[in-house]
Amino acid sequence: MILTTTDAIPGKTITDTIGLVRGSAVRGAHLGRDVMAKLKNLVGGELSEYTKLLAEAREQALDRMQAEAQARGANAVVGVRFASSEIDDGAAEVLVYGTAVRVG
Amino acid sequence: MSERQPTRDELLAMAYADGELAAPARDEFEQRLAREPALRREVSALRDLELLARQAAPKELADHEWEALAREPLQRATLGLGAGLLIAGLLALAAFGVYTLLVAELAPLVRWPLVALLLGGTLLFGAVLRGRLRTLPHDPYRKIQR
Repeated sequence: MILTTTDAIPGKTITDTIGLVRGSAVRGAHLGRDVMAKLKNLVGGELSEYTKLLAEAREQALDRMQAEAQARGANAVVGVRFASSEIDDGAAEVLVYGTAVRVG
Repeated sequence: MSERQPTRDELLAMAYADGELAAPARDEFEQRLAREPALRREVSALRDLELLARQAAPKELADHEWEALAREPLQRATLGLGAGLLIAGLLALAAFGVYTLLVAELAPLVRWPLVALLLGGTLLFGAVLRGRLRTLPHDPYRKIQR
């Protein structure tokens, strides 16, 4: 499965456009991670607990989009975009979407 | 020297994890996944590997420092003691709260709703925690660092 942010894939021809596919994930940090992140926020630097949280949500959302594309018979997703929003304090939401296509 | 050949189920799990199973075989495999915990563990292990392979970026300079810090006895003791004291304090406060609720001079119309609130919250938390612990082995994303 090819995932790309561009609308075309060099060297490949889009033979079929299947349609919009998307995946989203909302993940939370447990209390321990939250406490450590709040303490780190006092002294500055990277809040690795939240970096990790966002990365987890990003990868899960990507996998969900890919699974939907696969289930619909696509072998690539073009024009992939990411969006995020805040659902709750200490939780991360990532939405990823793109156009599922078949390339030859 | 002989290498162990993958079993049919292992091959099926690999094909499933890679999204290479066609519709009828995939549906059949998913029905088996719902019934067979061992097969779910197999697919989870493959997803773990796949996710780890995605984390191909080289270590950052600060990572070496963080790792060295994590090995230092002083740092480990400080973190362990800090977390232990925090948890002990929270548990003691919760226990004191329950004790106060039970012995305080409260009208029944106040006491029992509070007891219900506390008990309900505890039961719900227990159910949520049980669900998390049950699904934890099938959550490969928890191993992602950045």
